[in-house]
Amino acid sequence: MIAIEGVSKRFDAARDRRHLALNDVTLSVAEGEFVSILGPSGCGKSTLLYIVGGFVEPTAGRVLVKDVPVRGPGPDRGPVFQEFALFPWKTVLGNVMYGLQQGGVPRAEALARSRELLTMVRLSAYENFYPKELSGGMKQRVAIARTLAYRPNILLMDEPFGALDAHTRTGLQNDLLHIWDKDRKTVLFVTHSVEEAVFLSDRVVMMSSAPGRIKQIFDIDLPRPRSRAELLLDRRFQDYVVEIEKMFDDTAQQAPA
Amino acid sequence: MNAVRQWSERLIGAVPIIGLLALWQAIAMSGLAPPALLPTPGVVFARFFQQLGSPAFLDHAAVTLYRLFAGFMIAVVMGVTLGIAAVGSRAFAAIVTPVVRVLAPVPKIALYPALTLTLGYDDASKIALVIADAMFPILLATYQGASAVEPKLAWSARAAGVSPVRTLFTVVLPAAMPSVLTGARIGLIISCIVVFLAEMITSTDGLGHLLMRAARNFQTVDMFVPLIAISMLGLMLNALFNLVRRRLLRGFPEEK
Amino acid sequence: MTRLTSIPGLPPLLACLGILVVWELLARWYGLNGLPPASQALPQIPHILSDKESLIDMGESLRRMAIGYGLALLIAVPIGLWMGRSRYAAAFFNPLMMVIYPVPKAALMPIIMLWLGVGDASKTLVIFLGVTLPLIYHSYQGSRAVEEKLLWSASAMGLGGFARLWRVVLPAALPEILVGCKTGLVLALITMVTSEMIARQAGIGNIVFVSLDLGAYDTVYAMIVIIGMLGILFDVGFEVLRRRLVGWADSPHTIMVGSA
Repeated sequence: MIAIEGVSKRFDAARDRRHLALNDVTLSVAEGEFVSILGPSGCGKSTLLYIVGGFVEPTAGRVLVKDVPVRGPGPDRGPVFQEFALFPWKTVLGNVMYGLQQGGVPRAEALARSRELLTMVRLSAYENFYPKELSGGMKQRVAIARTLAYRPNILLMDEPFGALDAHTRTGLQNDLLHIWDKDRKTVLFVTHSVEEAVFLSDRVVMMSSAPGRIKQIFDIDLPRPRSRAELLLDRRFQDYVVEIEKMFDDTAQQAPA
Repeated sequence: MNAVRQWSERLIGAVPIIGLLALWQAIAMSGLAPPALLPTPGVVFARFFQQLGSPAFLDHAAVTLYRLFAGFMIAVVMGVTLGIAAVGSRAFAAIVTPVVRVLAPVPKIALYPALTLTLGYDDASKIALVIADAMFPILLATYQGASAVEPKLAWSARAAGVSPVRTLFTVVLPAAMPSVLTGARIGLIISCIVVFLAEMITSTDGLGHLLMRAARNFQTVDMFVPLIAISMLGLMLNALFNLVRRRLLRGFPEEK
Repeated sequence: MTRLTSIPGLPPLLACLGILVVWELLARWYGLNGLPPASQALPQIPHILSDKESLIDMGESLRRMAIGYGLALLIAVPIGLWMGRSRYAAAFFNPLMMVIYPVPKAALMPIIMLWLGVGDASKTLVIFLGVTLPLIYHSYQGSRAVEEKLLWSASAMGLGGFARLWRVVLPAALPEILVGCKTGLVLALITMVTSEMIARQAGIGNIVFVSLDLGAYDTVYAMIVIIGMLGILFDVGFEVLRRRLVGWADSPHTIMVGSA
C-alpha cells in the first residue's frame, strides 16, 4: 500500500547550518495496517509523515502509494494534525463539508454525509459552533470528521492527541479504534507515547534521531478489537510497553535532546 | 465598577473635543479674529446641517463618494489579488516584491498631474489616484497576512483534493482576513483623504472643489463645511467598516 | 535566479528599469500627447537640478519639511509615550485623534493661509499637522507594549515618573517609534507636495503645476520622477538609520500609511 524507499530529507537553514532530518528511511505498510512511528522529538517522524502526505518533498528517495510515486497531496491520504488546523472562519459543519463541496459533491449529499460523520464523532449538537468555541478534544474530533469526509484510503496522523489532556486522550484513542474497526483504513500514526503506540498499532516503528533513522520495528501481536480495560491487565501488553519503553530511553539518551 | 470606569473614560475623552470647540467659540466671540477669518462653531455647524438639506451640496457629496468607492473597491480587488498571487507563486513574488518596494514610498499624489494629463480632469484621474494610494497598504497587509498563515490549513485543503489556486482563495485568503481587513481600513481612510485632495487640486465638482470655491470667494463658513463633511464621512465609513469586519471575523479569536 | 535576487539592491534597480521600460513602451505605442516617453522626460532632470531657481525652491520646500517634521517629533513622541503609560492620558487623547484622523491635513491649507498668509508659517504648520498623528499613534503603541516588569524594576531602583519614561519606556518603545518616524517622514513629503500644489505659490509642488500650465510636459514628468526618488531616498535612508539604532529588534512588519 505504502512503500517508503530510501527517503532522506535535508534542511538547509544556511550554507553552514545544514540539518539532516531523515537518513535513508525504508518502510512498507500493508493495506489495512495500523502502523505507529515512535521516536524522540526531532527525529524527523513528522517530516516522514509530511513526505508521505506529499506536503514536503524528500531530498532523496521516493514514496509509492499503490505503486504510484507521490507527487503532491491527494484525497487518498488524509492528514490529521496535532494543531487541528481547523478553518476558524467556518462552523463545525462548514469545516466538514469544505472538502466535499470543493470536490463538486452536490450540496444535499455533502450535507447528509457531513451530518453522518458528526454523529459518528458525537458532535451533531455542535454543527453550528465555531472552532474557537470548542474544547481541544472536540476540535480534534471535528478534524477527524473533516478528513474522513472525503474518504481517504490512508490516514496520516501527526501526534493527533499530543495537545490533549490525559483523560481526553484515552477517550479519543478508544474513539479512533472504534472508527477504524469499521473499515480498517491504512493508518500511519506518529506519536511519542509508547503506550499509545502499543495500544493502537499492529506494528510500532522506533526511530532514532540526528539523523532520523529507523532503529527497530516491533510487531504487536494483540487480539482485536482491543479494549483498554482488558489490555491494561494483559501481560503481553505490559511486556511490549516495557520493552519498547526501555529501547526508547536508550535512544533518547543518545539524542542531543 | 467596569461600567463606571468606561463612563469616566468617555467623559475624559469628551473633554478635549468640547474644550477645542469652546476655545474656538471664545476666540471667535472675543473679537480677536473677525468673523471673516474665524466664524463661530455655531454658525459653521448650522450651515453644515442646512447644507445637508441642499440637493446641490448632496450632489457634490455623491460625486466624492462615487470616486472614493470606485477607487477603494478596485484597490481592494487589485491589492488582495496581487498580494495573494505573490504568496502563491515564487516567480510572481520575485517580480512584484521589488516593484512594490520601489513604488510604495513614492508620494502618489505627485502622479496626479500625470494622471490628469493622460486620463483627463474628470472622474478617471481621481479614481486612478485613489487606487494608486489605497492599493499598497492593502497589498502589503494581504501579503504579510497570507505568508503568516499556518501551512497546515493549506495542507488540509490540498489533501482534500483542492487545487493550489483554489486553496489560495478558499483557505489562505480567508485565513489572512484579519490582516487583510487591517490593510483595507487604512486604505479606506487614505481613499477618503486622497479623493478630497485631488478634488481640491483640480476639479469642477465634489466636496474638495466646494472648499476651493469657497476659498476663492472668501466665504469662510463654507470652507469649514466640506471639511466637517469629509471627516464625518470618514467616521461613518470607519463605523460601517467595523460592522463588516465583525461579521467577517466571527470565527476568529478576539484581538488583544 | 536565486543568486541574482540575493544581491542586495539589485532587484529594486531592475524594478526601476522595468518601470521605465514599460513607461517608454506605453508612450511609444499609444502616443498619448499627455505622456512623453521616458527617454524625453528623464534628460530634463539634470536641467532642473542645475537650475538655480528650482534648486532654491526645492531647498526651501525641504527646509519647511524638516522644521515641521522636527517640531512634530518633539511634541508627538512624548504625548504618545505618556498615552501608553497612563490610561487617563489615552482616554483623553484617543477620541480627539479619532475625529481628526480622517481630516485631510493638507486640505486645511486654504483656511490656514487665511490666518497665517501664504508664507512659510502656513506650509510648515500643515506639515506639522500631517505628521503628528501617526507619530503619536506609533509611540502610543510602542509604549503600551513595554513590559510592566521593566517598569517595576525601574521603580525599585528609585527612578521617578519622568525618569522612567525617559530612560526605560523610550528605549524599549524605540523600534515602534521609529516605524512611526519612517511613516511620518514619507507623510511629511506627501503633505509638503500636496500643500504646495494647493497653495500654488512656491516649492516643488508648485513647479509641477507651473510647468503643467506652460505645457512643458517633459518637465512635469521629470519633477514627478524627482519627487518619487525623494520618497524612495527618505525611505531607504531611514531604513539604514533604523537598522543602526534598533538592529536588536526583529524587523517589524510595517504597513505603509500614505497620504494626508
